[in-house]
Amino acid sequence: MAEEVTFKCLRCGYTYKGTYDRKVPEERECPKCGSNSVRPLPKGKGD
Amino acid sequence: MDVGRHPKIKLLAYSEIEEITGYIGNFHVKVRKKARYVDEIACTACGECVKVCPVVKPDEHQLGLATRKAIYIPFAQAVPASYLIDMEDCLGNNPIACGACAEVCDPRAIDYDQKDEILELDVGVAIVATGMDVCDPTILDEYRYTKYENVITSWEFEILTGPGYVTRGELLRPTDRKVPKSIAFVQCVGSRAERRGNPYCSNICCMNTIKDTLYLKEHHPEIDCTVFYMDIRAFGKGYEELYKRSKEVGVKYIRGIPGDIVEDRKTRNLVLTVENTTTGKIQRHEFEMVVLSIGVIPRPDTETVQRLLTLSKAADGFLMETHYQLNPIDAPTGGVFLAGCCESPKDIKASVIQASGAASRAETLLSAGKVKVEAITSEVIPDLCKACGICVDVCPYGSITVDRKAKTPASIVEAACKGCGTCGAECRFDALRMRHFTDDQIIAMIDAMFEERPEEKVCIFACNWCSYGGADLAGLSRMQYPPSGRVIRTMCSGRVAEKFVWHAFRKGAPVVLISGCHFADCHYIDANRWTQKRVEKLWDKMEQKGIRPERLQLEWISAAEAVKWTRVMHAVEELRKTVTREEIEETMRILSEEKGK
Ligand code: SF4
Ligand code: SF4
Ligand SMILES: [Zn+2]
Repeated sequence: MAEEVTFKCLRCGYTYKGTYDRKVPEERECPKCGSNSVRPLPKGKGD
Repeated sequence: MDVGRHPKIKLLAYSEIEEITGYIGNFHVKVRKKARYVDEIACTACGECVKVCPVVKPDEHQLGLATRKAIYIPFAQAVPASYLIDMEDCLGNNPIACGACAEVCDPRAIDYDQKDEILELDVGVAIVATGMDVCDPTILDEYRYTKYENVITSWEFEILTGPGYVTRGELLRPTDRKVPKSIAFVQCVGSRAERRGNPYCSNICCMNTIKDTLYLKEHHPEIDCTVFYMDIRAFGKGYEELYKRSKEVGVKYIRGIPGDIVEDRKTRNLVLTVENTTTGKIQRHEFEMVVLSIGVIPRPDTETVQRLLTLSKAADGFLMETHYQLNPIDAPTGGVFLAGCCESPKDIKASVIQASGAASRAETLLSAGKVKVEAITSEVIPDLCKACGICVDVCPYGSITVDRKAKTPASIVEAACKGCGTCGAECRFDALRMRHFTDDQIIAMIDAMFEERPEEKVCIFACNWCSYGGADLAGLSRMQYPPSGRVIRTMCSGRVAEKFVWHAFRKGAPVVLISGCHFADCHYIDANRWTQKRVEKLWDKMEQKGIRPERLQLEWISAAEAVKWTRVMHAVEELRKTVTREEIEETMRILSEEKGK
């Protein structure tokens, strides 16, 4: 199920909110630096 | 026609595939042969039924520019040459509401009780030749398609000038039914566009327009034809000559794509505003008709075909071949071949070449009766297998079976395995061995990598098809990047097991990078989705262990993205410099202690 999470770019540190569904993987790209090392932060970490 | 008559070809027209199971050499196909309500053998195609059928419908094959009856032949050259009744249009068969066609049919071919049939076939190979669709020009509202009747598409032009059309090939202007005195052709409608339409070149539109202008000039030399274009792509054999001929017969070519079309209400003529990029001037041109040269798009049911045969789709939505240069006919699934525009936009000649190639690839396999399996396949070690079934869930090709209830070990159909290694990476019991990319081999490479000065190196896992290709291109293009990266090639990023990452950190890696194909380019259908899921889990686990998740990087780099490869190499080097010797040692300590427990 899709849920609202905070994504963190592990290259530049930029964080942003977005929807995330573990079952439906999507290619992610940091809107700031273009890296694909974008981590969906576990609940409670990014709020 | 030849196909229809061939004694060894069984043509199932008006049929749909519902299910395909099995693998190369052993496919089982379920086909729904839809009821035609006309016995195709008895029907002589005399057409008496059409004369009496009271239902008139737009003819889909002629884009609604002509009509058909509820009983009809889809198009003039249809095979078999037999009528069919569209029961949704017919006044009713249960009970029979009209019955006019049956009354006049001498051979008694009408059968209102016919039912769909399900056929089951065993086949060795499959060729996908599902074709393409065309893009909808209404997305470009400046052309006022559908608002102005005299703006038509290149496909409509084809129908209006076709021998099957009511005018028998004479092009008439829709608003006054007269032969137009001037026609503009606008190229690249929906193609080569970043925002509205598709970024790719549709490949066929330039030559199609040149052909259309020559057709017009041959029948009506007096028609003033002008082509608005970005650049004319006439690269095939004899194409440049056709382009020149069209200019010789008086077709004008203006470099520039119109930004606006406005209709003169009185004359219904169309005024095009365009920046002529040769002169740099804004110009206005008036025409009686405009033909929009529309681009090619994948068919909307591509996804169904993809699902039925577990195929891959490229970023542009067309079906993906195994390798665009070296293996452009084989689909990633063994025993499946691609022909024509389902794979990419192409002209008739290229489609015939690819179809001939597909037929001979299929024939080679069928006549041999056996296949050479990939050298790189997965193998089950039955004693270690716990029959958990994870490998079954992750294999993109459905090559693995396991009886979870009976706890019988997994078994792999080697003919179907493509060697992505995802199963090997996911199996928690080391029960899968990837030939040529075994755990021991990869661990040995990591050991060798970090034998000396580990703090100076970045451990990079690069997939064979994309990222490794990107690195190769960066090298060939003499791009400069830091030498700290050490590459371990795997066929797919899906092969990179968690344990390889932990092992690299345990051996002193400051940074690990896993790189693979972009999602749309994955050569193993969707194996790299598992890479991403695994990396996400690793990030969480690293954090729990007190290791900075940043030290594990993930990048999707295609074989064409040498620039991205270079950029990423610089980025990971910058990251490496932030990892201190103390941090590395602390990680080594954490992981070694954990292993010791
Ligand atoms: S994942 Fe490993 S243990 Fe589980 S069924 Fe497959 S081979 Fe056996
Ligand atoms: S290596 Fe890939 S294709 Fe082969 S069985 Fe494992 S997951 Fe399936
Ligand atoms: Zn970033």
